[in-house]
Amino acid sequence: MKYRPYALLAEVTYRCPLHCPYCSNPTHQSRGDELATEKWIGVLDEAAKLGVLQVGFSGGEPLQRANLARMIAAARKAGIYTNLITSGIGLDEARATELCEAGLDSAQLSFQADDAELADAIAGTRTHGLKLAAAAAIRDQGIAFSANVVLHRGNLNRLREIIAFVHGLGAKRLELANTQYYGWAYLNRRQLLPTRNQIEEAARVAAEEKARLAGKMEIFYVLPDYYEERPKPCMNGWGQRYLTVNPAGEVLPCPTATCIPGLRFENVRERSLAWIWHESESFNRFRGTAWMAEPCRSCPQREIDFGGCRCQAAMIAGDATKTDPVCTLSPDRWRIDEALAAVDADFTMSQCAPRRFLE
Amino acid sequence: MSKVALESRPALARHVRLQIDSVTGEPVLLYPEGIIELNATAHAVLSRCDGRTTLSELVEVLAREYEATPEELRGDVLDCVAQLHARELLVLAP
Repeated sequence: MKYRPYALLAEVTYRCPLHCPYCSNPTHQSRGDELATEKWIGVLDEAAKLGVLQVGFSGGEPLQRANLARMIAAARKAGIYTNLITSGIGLDEARATELCEAGLDSAQLSFQADDAELADAIAGTRTHGLKLAAAAAIRDQGIAFSANVVLHRGNLNRLREIIAFVHGLGAKRLELANTQYYGWAYLNRRQLLPTRNQIEEAARVAAEEKARLAGKMEIFYVLPDYYEERPKPCMNGWGQRYLTVNPAGEVLPCPTATCIPGLRFENVRERSLAWIWHESESFNRFRGTAWMAEPCRSCPQREIDFGGCRCQAAMIAGDATKTDPVCTLSPDRWRIDEALAAVDADFTMSQCAPRRFLE
Repeated sequence: MSKVALESRPALARHVRLQIDSVTGEPVLLYPEGIIELNATAHAVLSRCDGRTTLSELVEVLAREYEATPEELRGDVLDCVAQLHARELLVLAP
């Protein structure tokens, strides 16, 4: 079998109590018609048969789904390793116990910053304190504890404090994810993009702290692709290893793929997951290298970065079949450089559009 | 890589699961947001890491099973355990 999904991102809801301006959820989303619990249980079972070994329950805030424990139990029963990707809002002792008993293996808790005031300003709501309680509940239940902090111009200068804070909470793994500019983050790009100085300093701090905390807490530093010369190998190639099912039941090769104009995504309400993975036009559209144009087509890196991100090509270069404009070989690279040149050092959260629903 | 004592008793770290992949029939190790497809040696070693058996006992068990001498196997087994220990997928009880 040439293509096999190993990991499923189960976006069980777009509802979220936070309003982070870097959210990668689609900006055109309404709360919509969420897939029912029973349907999710069927999807998890189908996913396991297709080869999925890891599921991330995400959103939005997955704890907003009252029957999340039943979904987790179904995934475990199907032999899938279960990860909860959460803001922590709604994760009190009782809920953590319920999820743990259902078979939750691991939780990835997000933080906006180490400092409560800054964190609450970024989240657009007073939630930092609740996250501390959620961290305690995860630890007490013995669920594997990871943390995630999205980095941007507003918190990069506190990277060392952020790392110490997360380590102090007892997390075993920390993902430091520089903002990827999709959804709300793209809309707020001018406010969120860091300066080159910030990025260089942050990379240095991350490397130092990674060495200092070796054996205590694993640190993953996700590079900011706008400052790179070659694109990221987005999703390890389109339709190669990952799939996402969004709250409405659409099956996507990547979580932000709905931003690509003209591409139609199949829905688990109408088709089997196996058919969608193997046969659908959307999953086959950018598989392999045959769809590529120059400069990707003849590039020695084409099997390494797969031409980068299709969403970024669509959003910035105006055509999803083009080279990711992050690549310095792309004729559209100037569009990225222009965005970087427009970075002004004064960051004010109040100028961001906070994530919200369009009813 | 840290040195591994033959008297230590390796066990899978908490949150690490060893299971058979239903698609390939091959052993896999699952952990927070990670998957390792195991080779035969790693599977033979890991499936015996129960937190009670010492590494030297484990080498002897494998030697009998694979009709080899402990000396022939020891290097590979220690390498495998040290690698997984360095990635915090195995713990070494004294």
